[in-house]
Amino acid sequence: MSDVVLKVNDLKAWFDDFNAVKGIDLEYKRNTINAIIGPSGCGKSTYIRCLNRIHEEVAGAKISGEVLLEGKNIYAPDADPVEVRKHIGMVFQKPNPFPAMSIFDNVVIGPRLWGERNKKNLEEIAYKSLQKAALWDEVKDKLHQEGTSLSGGQQQRLCLARTLATNPPIILMDEPTSALDPIAAAKVEDLMMELKDEYTVIVVTHNMQQAARVADYTSFFVLGELIEHGLSSDIFTNPKNQKTEDYITGRFG
Amino acid sequence: MKLSPQRKFKNLLFKFLLTLASVSVLIPLILIFNFLLQKGSMALSLDFFLNEPKPVGELGGGMAHAIVGSLTMVGLSALISVPIGILCGVFLSEYRQGKIAAILKFTIDILTGIPSIVIGIFSYLIFVVTMKSFSAWAGAFALSIIILPIVTRTTEEILKLIPKHVREAGLALGLPKWKVILHIVLKGSKNSLITGVILAISRASGETAPLLFTAFGSMYFSDKLTEPMASLPVQIYNYAISPYDDWQRQAWAGAFTLILICLGLNISARLFFKRKELKKFFVRKS
Ligand SMILES: Nc1ncnc2c1ncn2[C@@H]1O[C@H](COP(=O)(O)OP(=O)(O)OP(=O)(O)O)[C@@H](O)[C@H]1O
Ligand SMILES: [Mg+2]
Repeated sequence: MSDVVLKVNDLKAWFDDFNAVKGIDLEYKRNTINAIIGPSGCGKSTYIRCLNRIHEEVAGAKISGEVLLEGKNIYAPDADPVEVRKHIGMVFQKPNPFPAMSIFDNVVIGPRLWGERNKKNLEEIAYKSLQKAALWDEVKDKLHQEGTSLSGGQQQRLCLARTLATNPPIILMDEPTSALDPIAAAKVEDLMMELKDEYTVIVVTHNMQQAARVADYTSFFVLGELIEHGLSSDIFTNPKNQKTEDYITGRFG
Repeated sequence: MKLSPQRKFKNLLFKFLLTLASVSVLIPLILIFNFLLQKGSMALSLDFFLNEPKPVGELGGGMAHAIVGSLTMVGLSALISVPIGILCGVFLSEYRQGKIAAILKFTIDILTGIPSIVIGIFSYLIFVVTMKSFSAWAGAFALSIIILPIVTRTTEEILKLIPKHVREAGLALGLPKWKVILHIVLKGSKNSLITGVILAISRASGETAPLLFTAFGSMYFSDKLTEPMASLPVQIYNYAISPYDDWQRQAWAGAFTLILICLGLNISARLFFKRKELKKFFVRKS
């Protein structure tokens, strides 16, 4: 198996006529954490939403370029978005638990609808996923309450657990900790570090310290363009581009 | 912060107008109920609920046949139109981009606006004229055309309340769109959908015009769908314009029963919301 799990070639994305992502070339190595930073509105969300073919669900969305998952283009005419999304999971910027559905059902809905019927297995999946998402202790006594009854931060970890339950080799996270308190955020960061053993993580964040702490690689976006990409240690200590330096030192953005 | 007297006065005035409007809605309801109870209570008896009419001149008898007839035709029409209406609503809400959706939406809008008597005539031409007989089927068909657009629009509106990002989350789990619609969108709006459907049915159970020249009415119990069938609204109409005191009293009792049925449907619709969900529904809607 090649070292590169995901390779992005000249990826562009539009909302109607508005070009939000303007030709990105990037590679992601297996079992790494990759941060994406950049000012608000620069197309980070749009970019990672292209990586699991969710961007195309927006009315008026257009995409060009290639995204190679294990060498196969997920935008090839015969590629099935449903299969792509089984391999590339996503935690969204806003917590979005399924309404009128219990915490338990929220977590196991993926495996259940993929065909897992065994109650024991589903309970096992729910336990493991909630543990990993640092939510188990808070919800273990109320698994049958509705997911929407949780606090915002708990909902976000519920959504994380829901994604982990489907066990995708690549996980996209769009600001997964922006709704969390520092303790829960630290737990999720720990989780990312653990996940690295089995998964490849691509995470959008506005938290520079977080990127520096957890990410092996960091990409800096401005206005839909990739300004700089490299080892986080380089980007944060020794940026090559002036814009990057201004941004991470807080003088720009 | 202290309100200026002027602001205070405006607030009071506005509250007063709102209260006035609310009360003016309540008054007719209470009056109608009171009126029906007074006029109809004399004819309300066990006999009324259990028997069919007696021949003219004999006192007594009831509208049981019409109650059963109404339930039969309304039930049939619901069986026809609720599944179709929900499917159309799902289509309008989940596949709204396409041309077909635009045409469907237009059709539903027009259907909603057609007066019920016109729908009655339409059903008369299709069923009664071709089969040379008034029939319960023709009545049920007319009612189902009345229910269909209501169920469709209600379903569409309710499904639209589920935010887009919830659907995206479902897709992102590697679920095909139909599973997302069935297991996440529809399931998440189940209670509101049931409420909407019950309200649509309750609306249809009071319709007279479309039944006049389709099911026509009858004075007997009937279990044949190809023959005329009595219904509460038509029975009330016929009795109300009759010259007999006893029948007129029964018409009042029938009207009272009809209102009770509608009220019962409405209340059971509300009960499908647990209190918490009721709150959520209105908060989300506003
Ligand atoms: N649904 C949409 N329709 C039209 N334009 C959109 C839509 N969503 C985003 N945009 C535009 O695309 C650009 C990129 O948005 P995007 O959400 O990707 O930014 P972002 O980098 O994730 O920002 P943030 O850090 O605030 O989350 C913005 O200019 C935004 O206005
Ligand atoms: Mg974003």
